[in-house]
Amino acid sequence: MDNKTVETISYLARLELEKDKKEKITKDLESIINFVAELQDLNTEDVAPLANPLEKVAPKRVDSVTSKSRKEAFLSNSPESDKDYFMVPKVVE
Amino acid sequence: MSWETVIGLEVHAQLSTNTKLFSSASTKFGSEPNTQVDLVDLGLPGVLPVVNKDAFKKAIRFGLAIEANINQESSFDRKNYFYPDLPKGYQITQMTKPIVEGGSIDIDVDGDKKTINITRAHLEEDAGKSIHDAYPDKSVIDLNRAGTPLLEIVSEPEISSAKEAVSYMKALHQLVTFLDVCDGDMSQGSLRCDANVSIRKVGDANLGTRTEIKNINSFRFIEKAINFEIKRQIKVLERGEKVTQETRLYDSGKDETRPMRSKEFANDYRYFPDPDLLPVVISDDEMEEIRSTFPELPADKSKRYISEFQIDESEAEIISSSRELSNFFEVAVESKNDPKLAANLIVGEIGSLLNKDNIKIDESELSSDNFNILLKRISDGTISKKIAKTILAEIWETGRNADEIINDQGLVQIQDETLLEKVITKVIELNTNQVEDYKNGKDKLFGFFVGQVMKETQGKANPQAVNDLLKKMLNS
Amino acid sequence: MSIRFKTLSELKELLEKKEISSFELVSETFKNISSSKTNSFITLNEEIALNKARDFDEGKVSGDLAGIPIAQKDLFCTKNLRTTCGSKILEDFIPPYDATVVDNLSKAGSICVGKTNMDEFAMGSSNETSYYGTVKNPWDLERVPGGSSGGSAAAVSEGIVCAATGTDTGGSIRQPAALCGITGIKPTYGRASRWGMIAFASSLDQAGVFSRNAKDCALLLNHICSHDSKDSTSISDAQENYLENINNNLKGKKIGIVKEFDISSLNREVQDSFEQSKKVFEALGANFVEVSMPNIKLSVPTYYVVAPAECSSNLSRFDGIKYGYRSKNVNNLEELYIKSRSEGFGDEVKRRILIGTYVLSAGFYDAYYKKAQQSRRMIKNDFVKAFNEVDVIMSPSSPSSAFKIGSKTENPIEMYLEDLFTISSNLAGVPAMSLPHGFSEGLPIGLQLIGNYLEESKILNFAHQYQKNSDWHFKSPDLGENS
Repeated sequence: MDNKTVETISYLARLELEKDKKEKITKDLESIINFVAELQDLNTEDVAPLANPLEKVAPKRVDSVTSKSRKEAFLSNSPESDKDYFMVPKVVE
Repeated sequence: MSWETVIGLEVHAQLSTNTKLFSSASTKFGSEPNTQVDLVDLGLPGVLPVVNKDAFKKAIRFGLAIEANINQESSFDRKNYFYPDLPKGYQITQMTKPIVEGGSIDIDVDGDKKTINITRAHLEEDAGKSIHDAYPDKSVIDLNRAGTPLLEIVSEPEISSAKEAVSYMKALHQLVTFLDVCDGDMSQGSLRCDANVSIRKVGDANLGTRTEIKNINSFRFIEKAINFEIKRQIKVLERGEKVTQETRLYDSGKDETRPMRSKEFANDYRYFPDPDLLPVVISDDEMEEIRSTFPELPADKSKRYISEFQIDESEAEIISSSRELSNFFEVAVESKNDPKLAANLIVGEIGSLLNKDNIKIDESELSSDNFNILLKRISDGTISKKIAKTILAEIWETGRNADEIINDQGLVQIQDETLLEKVITKVIELNTNQVEDYKNGKDKLFGFFVGQVMKETQGKANPQAVNDLLKKMLNS
Repeated sequence: MSIRFKTLSELKELLEKKEISSFELVSETFKNISSSKTNSFITLNEEIALNKARDFDEGKVSGDLAGIPIAQKDLFCTKNLRTTCGSKILEDFIPPYDATVVDNLSKAGSICVGKTNMDEFAMGSSNETSYYGTVKNPWDLERVPGGSSGGSAAAVSEGIVCAATGTDTGGSIRQPAALCGITGIKPTYGRASRWGMIAFASSLDQAGVFSRNAKDCALLLNHICSHDSKDSTSISDAQENYLENINNNLKGKKIGIVKEFDISSLNREVQDSFEQSKKVFEALGANFVEVSMPNIKLSVPTYYVVAPAECSSNLSRFDGIKYGYRSKNVNNLEELYIKSRSEGFGDEVKRRILIGTYVLSAGFYDAYYKKAQQSRRMIKNDFVKAFNEVDVIMSPSSPSSAFKIGSKTENPIEMYLEDLFTISSNLAGVPAMSLPHGFSEGLPIGLQLIGNYLEESKILNFAHQYQKNSDWHFKSPDLGENS
């Protein structure tokens, strides 16, 4: 778990580690990865991965509109908005 | 230096379902911002997705139409990245097991036919809209579109020119609208195209570096953007440089593509199966139901019209390419009308009126019942085809019943021979010079006499009867 | 009269006989909260709670839990009542909707007095990671109550409420129940709706309850469990009445002891209590069978790949744009994300997000995540096989009693091993519960019962029979001047 890896995954997660905590967290991450690396030795040939404990299928929903507008509630609950939209600092594409 | 182009298209079709892929909010276009956002679409803490049954139906219909494999068990994955119009910070998509795999679409470029193979078509949710020019220092987000079902259709990189790309898009457009899978309104963003373009030397087996031009939303722009990009890449390579793999946008104002500011320096989407959604299974019964309601496709319809009704190939193609026109035509034929006559009027007179007003047949004032009356009156000789056209024009404006118009305006065709003989006699007496010229060999004057008879009868004379009587009386 | 330490059943009887009014009940509850030293609540709901109490006293409310004050773990969205998930990033978040579990309990007539403290985003086994301060164990204020549902466990343990909701992703109900000397149950995955439950690890999270005994748990479970069409992972099997078979005879029933749990490596007192409990069950006619679950030792590493992976994705929605904390002085979009999230999340949450991001990233997916999913299936298969041989599985709920606050925060792995016995049931999705069965170093320890899929009735039956023949669940902490 080198610095570059920590930097990359931090950016992917949009997290910034404080300088004085960086070293400890890197060490923690290392020990956790070492801890879980035990799984590598497991013989998993022909074992199908289990994504969800329910071995069932997804229910499907009827295509009818039942949702109503909650525009005022949503916008008023947001950190920054005008009367119509959520607002963020300008994005340049 | 001979270059060849390799193009693959990724088309996003917004499905014409009533609700979103995972929530019951409406997908209607053009509503006030942020009024069609459900708790689920906002990505509030604790919300969960439930998949829309009809989205799968439409995706499968598409898959059947392109003769692809339908994965009756498919699943959803999460594609993780950050962008303001992506409320959950991940998009739910189908990476590992898409609903549709394989299949192909036939295209026609100026008479040359080609088959483009499809890699896959999968379901995923659309993001919201970011608007960057409302404020000087802020961007704003409208989440109405967030969660709308998309069918992402990925072609194999088998398209070789901008023209082929447009042809492919047009074929795709016709297919999805005909199948009622997507409304095809590109100006509204219902059908969007990303083009992957690369260049290589002719004969080179390796693919060149490709760039992706995102979100092109008109046939014209697709052609222009791709052509610009091909030229640009050729210039780069001829300078001895390498093409940068990047995402680009087409600027229609300047007619050029330019690189997008990169969204993520490391595009690691960390796909993994969505744990909130179990695998989606389409039962054999459901498949049967979808198959049984599968519409006849334009190409097959056209063939059938020609063989069954002996109508012109060009007319068959026009009528079969529109669901509304083909329905209209088929209703007329079912009512035991003359198919050739019906087709003729639909493509000719009615077609012009539709174009003039820029509407679809079911938006016009002409009902199937009324058309049926009109056709019958022509077939039984009550009116001539010529008169029918004027009646049609009136129906178009007023929607009045054809029989009413015929009776009101006294448009019943004159077939009475005695009456016609009287008229013809009058015409002959008034035009003795022309009669002499005709008798001396000026055959073309026959049309003049016909015209005069028509004038005398306000166009109501039965043309066939006029022809026969005139011939008899002029030659006597 | 003091309502402290009264059970749900006792309070129902008092209300029925009109020996106390709901208003008195609720008022005393708030008095007890204010004099409490455990920091078990984050947000209180006093005005509304008192109004609801009045409604009940006026005869306007009916239901199994009518008029009874309960507490909700602050991970459940409660409409118009602040929900923080123990985090700064939701410090001012007011949900516009109720979680289904909350709605169900409300429909049964219960009165929510407030939101209980918890480890931030349910990540922790000691309730030391909350932005709103550590929760203290009522048995010893210098010790942890367990986590992540530490606040709910403490509130029930110190007799403030007779019932509280919790959630259990790796043991977050059972372990605090054990450390606080009360009863707690996590039903089969999918039995209770996750709609409105702020997601930590979607394929592991499950709602559950704390109360003073198994019978009360059964009554509460009857209400929190329901099929919910808004949750695609909600079980649609027929609803059960968990009280129906609670008095069944245990004669001839088989209880499994997992060989690989290696109980002989635990401390003396924990082992002794376990042996004593075995005797209780033997006296009731049950037999013990050793079962082997060879893959169970991989539960903790498996969990610590799966859970962080899912949480790293689930927590991406906290971006300071639609709701929640947004950092001030943000100059561009990147800073908006990075600063809001970095300032809003605590260290443990960050650690888990980073681990999750790592194990899902390109090149590592097969080695970690896919491997963990395969290991998970092998653990599930072990359970399926074991339940062919036994009715329930028994183990200690945790390796020891409550540890001192701050003693395990240096090394994350040490903390992770707290969940050694509980984690496997989350991976497999089977129901499990903890009930008090002794003391170690003067502090409560718990007995865990694990059942087969949809067999909550069975484990409740075993637990109830145990409680009819023992008195550990009657014990309560000495609160000094507060009792």
